[in-house]
Amino acid sequence: MRLKRREGIRRDRGMIDTSGIRLSHFQGMLIFAVVISVAFGFLSRRRPVDRVRYIVWSLFLFLVIGIGIGWVMYPFSR
Amino acid sequence: MTFENNSEQNGKEVAGEGSTSGVGGATASGSELGGGGAANTGVGDATQESPSRRETMALAIGVAAWLVPGLGHALLKMWGRAAACFLTVGVLVVLGAGMRGNIFSSGGGDAFDTLGYVADLGAGGFYFVARSIEKFGADVSHANGDYGTRFLATAGILNLLAALHAFEAARGHKA
Repeated sequence: MRLKRREGIRRDRGMIDTSGIRLSHFQGMLIFAVVISVAFGFLSRRRPVDRVRYIVWSLFLFLVIGIGIGWVMYPFSR
Repeated sequence: MTFENNSEQNGKEVAGEGSTSGVGGATASGSELGGGGAANTGVGDATQESPSRRETMALAIGVAAWLVPGLGHALLKMWGRAAACFLTVGVLVVLGAGMRGNIFSSGGGDAFDTLGYVADLGAGGFYFVARSIEKFGADVSHANGDYGTRFLATAGILNLLAALHAFEAARGHKA
């Protein structure tokens, strides 16, 4: 309700909020990992079982490595 | 990521995913489609058509795959892969443009702009879809815009990879 009113005020002032889709860092990484894993799984494997196995394993590695790199970089972030 | 040629290893293939069964089907794996009735039902029978014709058809399939994500695999009757390519590239383009990522144009000033343009153009027809979605222009002042730029570039590269895969499958080299 309050957010809607704020958006209305912005619109009245000509400051239309056009920020588009907003994702957190984790959501962005998760969507990216899912999409790429599915694409690679379908392109590189033919049997459904192999595809599912590949997608799950690839997704797991994407997330583990992504979060791992995030933790490694954390001390240098400030 | 490694892509293996399973067609030579798995004698029992998935029905409906006849890798080289469509246009320009190859002799290499046509017999490996276990129960694949669609093995040689495409536009050209590989056992009779000349190699140059097959190459031409493979090139046409590659270009079709680039222009419309998934179309190349659809022409080869690889329905699962066609759907996967279309959906994954589509999701990345819609999200990237929705997050106000940078869609590079041909008038880029430096090499990175040119590289970005080539990557974005890899999405084929979806490049213009992205331009139509992003009406307010790019906004890379936030992390979301930066992520959107990567999503768009990834969509293009992924589509190029899929087009290359379709081209190779049409030639009968890989599936």
